[in-house]
Amino acid sequence: MIKSYKFRRVLSNTLIYILLAVLGLIWISPLVYLILHSFRDEGLATVSYLIPKHFSFQNYIDLFTDTASLNFPRWFMNTLIVAIFSCIISTLAVLMVSYSFSRLRFKARKPMINIGMILGMFPGFMTMIAIYYLLKAMGLTQTLVALVICYSAGAGLGYQISKGFFDTIPRALDEAATIDGATRNQIFWKIILPMSKPIVVYTVLTSFIGPWTDFILCKIIMGDNVNNYTVAIGLQKMTSAEFFTTHFKRFLAGSVVVAVPITILFLKLQTYYVEGVTAGGVKG
Amino acid sequence: MNYLEYMQLNPFQKFGYNIGKFFKAVPGALKKFFCAIGRFFKNLVLGIGRGVGNYVSRFIKGDWATKLSYIVMGVGNVSKGQVIKGFLFLLIEVGYIMYMVFFGGAYIAKFGTLGDTARHMETVGGKHVTVAGDNSMLILLYGVLTLVLTAIFFVIYIANTKSAYKAQQTVAAGEKPIGFKEELKDLLDNKFHTTLLAFPTLTISVFTILPLIFMILIAFTNYNAQHMPPGSLFTWVGLDTFSEVFKLTDGGAGAASKGYTFIELTKWTIVWAIFATVLNYILGMIVALMINKKGIKLKALWRTLFVVTVAVPQFVSLLLMNQMLAVDGAINVLFKNLGIIQESVAFLNSTPLLARITVIIINCWVGIPYTILITSGILMNIPADLYESATIDGAGPVKSFFKITLPYMLFVTTPYLITSFIGNINNFNVIYLLSNGGPNDPNLYQAGRTDLLVTWLFKLTMNSQDYNLAAAVGILVFIVCATLSLITFNMTKSAKNEEEFS
Amino acid sequence: MKRILALVLAVLMMAAIFVGCGGGSSTDTDTSGSGDTDPFGGEDNITLKVWAPEKAKDLCEQQCQAFIEQYPDKTISIEVVAQGEGDAASALLNDPDTAADVFSFPSDQLNKLVNAGVIAPVFDEYLDDVTSRNSVESVAAGTIDDTLWAFPETGDNGYYLVYDKSVVSEEDAATFEGVLEACRKAGRKFIMDAGNGFYSCIFPFTGGLEITGLSADGVQQFNDYDEAEVVDTLYAFSALFHEYSDIFESNDPSKVSSGMAEATPTVAAGIDGSWNAATVQGVLGDNYGAAKLPTIDVNGTAKQLISMHGYKYIGVNMSSSYLDAAELLADYLTGEECQLQRAEEISWGPSNTTAAASDVVKNNDALNAIIEQSVYSVAQVNVADTFWTPMATLGEAVYKKDNAVDKDYLTEQLQKCVANIKDE
Repeated sequence: MIKSYKFRRVLSNTLIYILLAVLGLIWISPLVYLILHSFRDEGLATVSYLIPKHFSFQNYIDLFTDTASLNFPRWFMNTLIVAIFSCIISTLAVLMVSYSFSRLRFKARKPMINIGMILGMFPGFMTMIAIYYLLKAMGLTQTLVALVICYSAGAGLGYQISKGFFDTIPRALDEAATIDGATRNQIFWKIILPMSKPIVVYTVLTSFIGPWTDFILCKIIMGDNVNNYTVAIGLQKMTSAEFFTTHFKRFLAGSVVVAVPITILFLKLQTYYVEGVTAGGVKG
Repeated sequence: MNYLEYMQLNPFQKFGYNIGKFFKAVPGALKKFFCAIGRFFKNLVLGIGRGVGNYVSRFIKGDWATKLSYIVMGVGNVSKGQVIKGFLFLLIEVGYIMYMVFFGGAYIAKFGTLGDTARHMETVGGKHVTVAGDNSMLILLYGVLTLVLTAIFFVIYIANTKSAYKAQQTVAAGEKPIGFKEELKDLLDNKFHTTLLAFPTLTISVFTILPLIFMILIAFTNYNAQHMPPGSLFTWVGLDTFSEVFKLTDGGAGAASKGYTFIELTKWTIVWAIFATVLNYILGMIVALMINKKGIKLKALWRTLFVVTVAVPQFVSLLLMNQMLAVDGAINVLFKNLGIIQESVAFLNSTPLLARITVIIINCWVGIPYTILITSGILMNIPADLYESATIDGAGPVKSFFKITLPYMLFVTTPYLITSFIGNINNFNVIYLLSNGGPNDPNLYQAGRTDLLVTWLFKLTMNSQDYNLAAAVGILVFIVCATLSLITFNMTKSAKNEEEFS
Repeated sequence: MKRILALVLAVLMMAAIFVGCGGGSSTDTDTSGSGDTDPFGGEDNITLKVWAPEKAKDLCEQQCQAFIEQYPDKTISIEVVAQGEGDAASALLNDPDTAADVFSFPSDQLNKLVNAGVIAPVFDEYLDDVTSRNSVESVAAGTIDDTLWAFPETGDNGYYLVYDKSVVSEEDAATFEGVLEACRKAGRKFIMDAGNGFYSCIFPFTGGLEITGLSADGVQQFNDYDEAEVVDTLYAFSALFHEYSDIFESNDPSKVSSGMAEATPTVAAGIDGSWNAATVQGVLGDNYGAAKLPTIDVNGTAKQLISMHGYKYIGVNMSSSYLDAAELLADYLTGEECQLQRAEEISWGPSNTTAAASDVVKNNDALNAIIEQSVYSVAQVNVADTFWTPMATLGEAVYKKDNAVDKDYLTEQLQKCVANIKDE
């Protein structure tokens, strides 16, 4: 009886290993393909076989040196700057909103929570032209500042997960602090925030990634000011009809360059991310 | 049934209980939702009535300074010693008036017609002159901006009259009105929410709500390819656009009807959202269970394999997938090498069914890693003795998944499920970058068989410039999503038990 | 004291309002004169922005420099910015104020630009010259409602048949059947973007369908075509593609050069755009073959494939602060000399008749092929926005393997396509 139980366990574990290996292979293979072909030396845009025949760093070298028309290094720096600033502002906005909704009680709270929840559901690109002309009225179009504003202006609407997280911190803590004479401001900075590392990391991570992936709004805001492009429109430009034939390999290389730092960051902070999203996102 | 009773049920009963409870609550929630809307309007009307009453009574009871601050803001506060506060009120009033005079007034004046002369060129005595004319779009946008600012100003104006009257009463009671410093201090404590929410509310109002109002209003105009500013004007047309959306003819020999397209795309959008959500959820959970199973080694490695895909920007991985799925792409090459297929298959562009299955599968590739991330932690929290007792009862892994894991997870993660369902309804990236809506269908207006409503909107604005139609469809999608999520969120435990810790 | 302060405040505010009212007068017209002698209409200290596609940017900069040097008594600065022609109209519509003063765009966007009122027409003083020096077709395609809206820049925005001479002979290249048969013998593919309206319009056009402009309310107009003939032609295409389904592949034109560039080439021929010609030529070297589109056998008669032929124009932004200078520059950039330079350096076919007859053009295979094809083409002018998607759909109906090769089916598809383009 025990033997067969053990046998069954070994069998099921083996099966699981095989399944995981197959699935893992499926999941990772597009990325492997991406990396392999970013080193491909021969051929134009695409080739009809899976594994490149000659490898070289040429695509990467071109990406960083042939900057006359497609200035990838500059776009990379732009994106980094925008990502850092918008991530700081977004994180603050999210924490401020979610703390208020979770810990403070005021008349407009419930309606604001409900309105906040549905506002994000409107298809965004219809409003882009409006956003553009609002920025224009402020004299900010075609600048990186405009991008920072766009990416962080609506950040407060993403309060749900961190509100969920704050909800799990016992209110007794606040009460004790209030009795000790602390103001709500002090409670926020000295008690709640230090306990919120996972959710802070989660928010930082999600808002940092945003600017690297947006390729529609950014294009409208930047127009023909190529110098202020971000990597996302840069990479998309490489796949447009004008550049596809000659620049697709460079697109692959550029994608790897963008993906690597984000991936490393993500893997490093994964545990916090999971902790934050688990505690905040799905609390029953 | 209390929690203890609930825990004593067997998992199957629990599941049934939860599902039953959920559906039993739906009509109630619907009713409550519409009651809430009704109540909102009732309170609104009552509130306005009360507000006007108070406004008038404050004026009657006010002294000369309070009365004057009904015209010149801040006078009441200044005369009672609250100089800084008073000046701030005044500054706001001056700012508002300057804004109206230099900028907003002109747009508001034309808001009713959205302009009368379009931009055009004239040749005056051999000179080429561009007559700037009106731009309907800018009139609409800056008109909305002015209305929003006016609303904000109005709120501040009322606060000003209240503040003046309050200061008057304080002085009448022989006390000193509170100073500016104390008010600032209060903002860090009792009114801390005002401090925290002021900045996000401002940015959200300007960059989310205002453009939203703009877009909603466009649905009531004839802003389309024939009425493109600045060369031509558009104007209000009432509900015409909506009647076009609901004009239900099934095509026949004539042109594809917008109504038919709307219905067809709505059907597919719902099917897509259900499949995309449910498959991602269940499959992701199964993978997470496998990774977290006792005795499985290299957990970090397995998890990393999946999670890495989350970190790669979606437009990169999806554009790559699009290339790999092409007739000459990597997947066709691989399948041919493996002998699965003989001839190339156009996965995204042959039959609608194949294309739809393909996008759903690719969406699993995109979505499952997120499910793994989100569910791993909760899966570990399921009490182990539940599984043990199930095993003793002779339940296999499949049985215990459906009888224990799934009901438990459904119970705990309803909010997440709703969010991802809504997210899939609006899943622009996957469809736009992968299939761009194809394969085409002559019965659909400017759309293909894998187009979701949201990608159709995009095509309507980009390809055929039917801005009004796109706005109308956007509003309809929004109403459905908003109703759905408001009802379900307010039904779930998280909203009800919010005060658990207080 | 406090009362006085409060009163002062009130007075101050009233004053502010009056000051505000007084200051608000500004002119909203933008005048520019055109004097008798000065082509700049009196403009000076001119700054202009020019949009040119990446490929033409450097050359355009040189040409602008030459333009500046022509007028030493004027202060002119010109900035050339790279802007893909495919997005030119949408970029301009997005915000005419920050867009270029002078911009290059393909003919299919003209309608959009004119509708939105963002493009300034060619001024009367240039009209005679522009009309006489450019090909009749290029001028006609730039004219809407009897107004010429832009300066013709190239006469070659079209596609042609490109083939590998080692596989496809010149004789094979004359007929579609011959090309496909030659490709099959070599086991290599033929690529055409049959699911894209720009290319798939070949199918109905070959059967006699033509677009003839737009009605006053923007509805696409067609000639009085013979439906049976169009359907017969669609049928012939469909039958041919199904017969050669192992060889014929509908894919992006960029795959033509990619497939030819492989160590063991997978593609032997295709329909490719003039803009890719240099790349393919580099790949094939001596084996580079370029020809007009082939013929197809319809009920026993060889019918020449009819393509959609586009032109590129240089337009002037109506919002420009220097309209006269912008027109003068546009005129200069589309003159014979500049067109010839472009033909030499980046192989753009001239619309200028003298330049088109030059040796530079005659010695360029791709340009020759396109010019030859332009005789058998429908001009890409006055195309409604609703044209492309239904036309792409018709293309899919013709080429897809799963679809039946059936005249009733194709008749239905054609009717749908025309109805959808008209959207009525």
